[in-house]
Amino acid sequence: MTDLPLLSGRALARNYRLGTEMVCALRGVDIDISRGDFMALKGPSGSGKTTLINLLGLLDTPDAGELMLEGMNTQGLSENMRADLRRRHFGFVFQTFNLVPVLSAAENVAYPMTLDRRSDREAAVRARELLAAVGLADKAEQRPDLLSGGQRQRVAIARALANEPEVVFADEPTANLDSKTADMILDLMQTLNRERGVAFVFATHDPRVVERAQRVINLHDGRVEQP
Amino acid sequence: MNPLTLAWRNVARNRRRSLLTGGILAFGFASFTLSAGFMAQSFHGLRDSTIRSGIGHLQFADARTFTQSEDAPLQFGLKDADAIMATIAKDPAVRVVMPRLEFMGLITARARSVPFVGVGVDPLAEKTGTDIPTTISAGRWLDDNGRALVLGTGLARTLNVSVGDGVTLLATTPEGTLNAVDAVVTGLADVHFKELNDRYLAAPLALAQQLLDAPGTVSKISVVLHATGHEAETAQRLTTVLGGNLAVRSWEQLAQFYNQVKMLYIGIFGFMSIVLMVVVFLASVNTTLMTVTERTREIGTLRALGARPRVVLTNFVLEGTVLGLAASAAGALLSLLISAGLNASAIEMPPPPGVTRGIPIHVQFFALAYVSAALAMTLTSVVASYFPARRAARISIVEALTHV
Repeated sequence: MTDLPLLSGRALARNYRLGTEMVCALRGVDIDISRGDFMALKGPSGSGKTTLINLLGLLDTPDAGELMLEGMNTQGLSENMRADLRRRHFGFVFQTFNLVPVLSAAENVAYPMTLDRRSDREAAVRARELLAAVGLADKAEQRPDLLSGGQRQRVAIARALANEPEVVFADEPTANLDSKTADMILDLMQTLNRERGVAFVFATHDPRVVERAQRVINLHDGRVEQP
Repeated sequence: MNPLTLAWRNVARNRRRSLLTGGILAFGFASFTLSAGFMAQSFHGLRDSTIRSGIGHLQFADARTFTQSEDAPLQFGLKDADAIMATIAKDPAVRVVMPRLEFMGLITARARSVPFVGVGVDPLAEKTGTDIPTTISAGRWLDDNGRALVLGTGLARTLNVSVGDGVTLLATTPEGTLNAVDAVVTGLADVHFKELNDRYLAAPLALAQQLLDAPGTVSKISVVLHATGHEAETAQRLTTVLGGNLAVRSWEQLAQFYNQVKMLYIGIFGFMSIVLMVVVFLASVNTTLMTVTERTREIGTLRALGARPRVVLTNFVLEGTVLGLAASAAGALLSLLISAGLNASAIEMPPPPGVTRGIPIHVQFFALAYVSAALAMTLTSVVASYFPARRAARISIVEALTHV
């Protein structure tokens, strides 16, 4: 059982309708993600990186192929079951941070835990621990609009780790950050990967991210490009 | 995080829009409660004036009086009125017992004769149980003078008489003979109902009985109670004691005009309330739709983090609830302030249907209207939130996350 990859996608395909045309965003991709991975999905715009991350993170459903999570086929799951699986197994970091503006940094981090029915007190304690781990212990009460881009992304990383996920999906996490901040964020993610064993899957075309990745998958026109 | 706290913060997030929508809800609340308060006061006033117009809370008469028309005056009259009145007066709920002898005839002064609708009354009881003595605009109410008459100002004008003038009353007796008595006009009453004012005549009971040649007989007995609302039990108690061929009716059964006005007011108020609710509903739907559109990306984020669709739905519905409750509180305050202002203003309202004089505006505090308005506004806000929220909950996460 332990030899099974955490996530295993086979012949994943996804089409989108763009006006009157159908666009093939993914054309039969095979991919495995294991615990502790630190991998990058690389490719030019429109290569299918974000589409693949959306499928792997159960944010979207494939038109063809199958996706197994710890050996369980995710096809046909209800919206509620997919939401529960996302909450318990995955974390997400977005290019535009996507913090809830009416919540403080600590409340943003605590929110996924309250969704998981943890007590407010437990969630608050863990949120502060996570903020301390990303170096923002002193910003716990700040609202997102008072934080810098780098600080917001660190709050987003802390939030992604809230429910102790096995994988964090990060879609272009450094795109809106300057070089120095981007390096700091990547250092942080590497540390978390190393110390907590959390797998990170990046969709990126940032060479700094690709350089640090243990594994890189090249995508082109919705297919995995063989090296 | 308490979901209500989150809802409140989201409501406060776009202050201008929430203030506008909340303002519409509060205005709706105030409109509803002010209309209801004014209407309740109107009903209250109309009820009291109806009771004190001589109808009383209860009326006792021969059972046929309420179902048949008389072929001759006092055909269904009560001949042993004094004994009946004495029994009624002993009941603890009864405040005053008013014998009434209703009759019609001609009143003549100088060379002019005018038909009248007369009532023979006990002057003192009438003073306690009706408002008619307070409507005297010239002279005085009936007193010990056995020949005194009070005329409606409209009747006096038509007859061209004033206080102190002598008149002759002509009427048909129960036996069908024509009888006449002389009397003196001692007062003019400004009776509220115009049609009655043009024909109204009040005479001491003994004079009316003399005119109709029917000593000891009355048409009916009106009874005023100490408090409104005890009609049914008092009627039941007295009917049991009195027995015989006597029938009793409450003021609500007799006051057809009151019931018609009440239904008319309720119809108008109901229609206005529906229009108001539609406006409030559409404004609330518009707000939630704008909010959902603006927060589409946030909805996608929450869903990505593992929020079930129901959580998103609940969040928006809670926001609608919070806005509805806050607006209701503001609306209640607004309504109380406007009520206080209006009640202090002494603005004269046009006369209600059938009344000759205007009345000062008064908005009654009607607790049930406040509770109903709070429920209506909050429910409207909740329902208005529900449909856009349901759409938000079902939105594709990928589309929501890329929403611009």
